[in-house]
Amino acid sequence: MRDLFRGELVRITSEEPEARAKVEVFWQRDTEFHRLADADPTRMESEKKLREWFEKQNENGFKPERYSFAVRTLAEDQHIGFFVLWLDLIHNEAWVGIGIGDREFWGKGYGTDMMKLCLQYAFTELNVHRVSLGLHEYNPRALRSYEKAGFRLEGRTRKDLNREGKRYDSLWMGILHDEWMQMQNGDQQ
Amino acid sequence: MNDILKGSLVQLGAVDPEEYSRAFSQWRRDSELMRLMDTSEVMLRSQKDSQKWIEKELEDQDVNQYMFTIRTLTEDKFIGDIGLYVVNWSGRDAFVGLGIGERDFWGRGYGTDAMKVILRYAFMEVNLKRVTLTVFEYNPRAVRSYEKVGFRHEGRQRGFLNREGKRWDMLFMGILCEEWMNLQKKENI
Repeated sequence: MRDLFRGELVRITSEEPEARAKVEVFWQRDTEFHRLADADPTRMESEKKLREWFEKQNENGFKPERYSFAVRTLAEDQHIGFFVLWLDLIHNEAWVGIGIGDREFWGKGYGTDMMKLCLQYAFTELNVHRVSLGLHEYNPRALRSYEKAGFRLEGRTRKDLNREGKRYDSLWMGILHDEWMQMQNGDQQ
Repeated sequence: MNDILKGSLVQLGAVDPEEYSRAFSQWRRDSELMRLMDTSEVMLRSQKDSQKWIEKELEDQDVNQYMFTIRTLTEDKFIGDIGLYVVNWSGRDAFVGLGIGERDFWGRGYGTDAMKVILRYAFMEVNLKRVTLTVFEYNPRAVRSYEKVGFRHEGRQRGFLNREGKRWDMLFMGILCEEWMNLQKKENI
C-alpha cells in the first residue's frame, strides 16, 4: 500500500485553526488568487474571524460528507494550500475544491501533485465512484493541471461570470473511478 | 420506480416521539421482548423518559441513520420499529436493528416483511453494498426470519450473553447487495 498522504512535491496535513487562519489572512490579500479560486466578490476577513470559522468546522465534529486537508511542501515544509472533498454519500460521488495560496508555488506542478493525492484519497480510501469540480474559463492553468490529473471537461455554463466588464463561462470537469484506475495502470507500465 | 417503503403486510412510517414512547413504555414491560431485542439488562422506563430519549435520537438523525416505525398495512397499527445505521461509508455497510413490540404480531411474517422492505430501501435508495445484523442464539425465530430474507451466517461471538446462568452466543449475519439482487431476480421469475 502506498503512502496516501505523501506525493512527489507535497504532503497532506491537518493543521490547527490558528495555523490555517494565519496563512489564510495573507492568501486572501491576493485578489488574483481569490478570483481564480472563487466567484464571490473578494473580501477581507480578520485572522480572528478566519480562526473562528476553522474552529467551528472542527466543533461540528467529524462528518463523513466532508474531508478538509492542508497541504505542505516536502522540501521546505511550507504550508502552501488546501483541498476539500465534499461527498454525496448516497450517490457516492464527490466535489473537490483546491487552492494554492502562495503564488511562489503556482505553475510548478504543486497543484497537479496535490490533485493526484486528492484523487488517490477519494478513489482508494473513500471509494467514491466519481469526482467533480468547477473552474472559471479565465483560469487555463488550472484547466491544464486538472486535465493532467485525469479530469475531463464535461460541460460549461455560458457567460455566467462577470469580471471587469467581461463575461466568462464556468467549466465543469469530472473523472470516474474506472478512468482513474486505468491511468494508474498506465503509470505503472 | 415503486413505492419502496410498502411491503405485503407492513409499511414503514415516520417516528412520532409521543406515539413511539407511549408504545415503548408498554412494550418494555415485556421482559422476554426486551431480552430478544437487546443485550443490556432489562429495565423499565417511563413514557416521559422514553420520549426524551427518542427526541434526542431523532435530533441526531442524519445521513448515517434511518429510523422507521413498522405499521400494518390493513390498520396502520404501530407494531414495531426498524432502523438502519451506516457503519462505514467507504465499505457502504450498515447495521440493521428490528423489533416487533406487539406480541400478537410475532411469528406471522410481519418482521420478515419489514426486513424485506428495509433491505430494498438500503440497497435501492441508500445504495449500500451490504447490511449486517446481530441476533442472539436464544432467538431461533428471528434467525429463521433473517435466513428467509436472504441473510447468511457469518460468525459468532461465543458465550457473549449471560442469561439465567447460561451463556449464549451472539450470531453475526450479513447480506451483500449482489446476493439481494439475485434473490429479487429469482422471486420475479
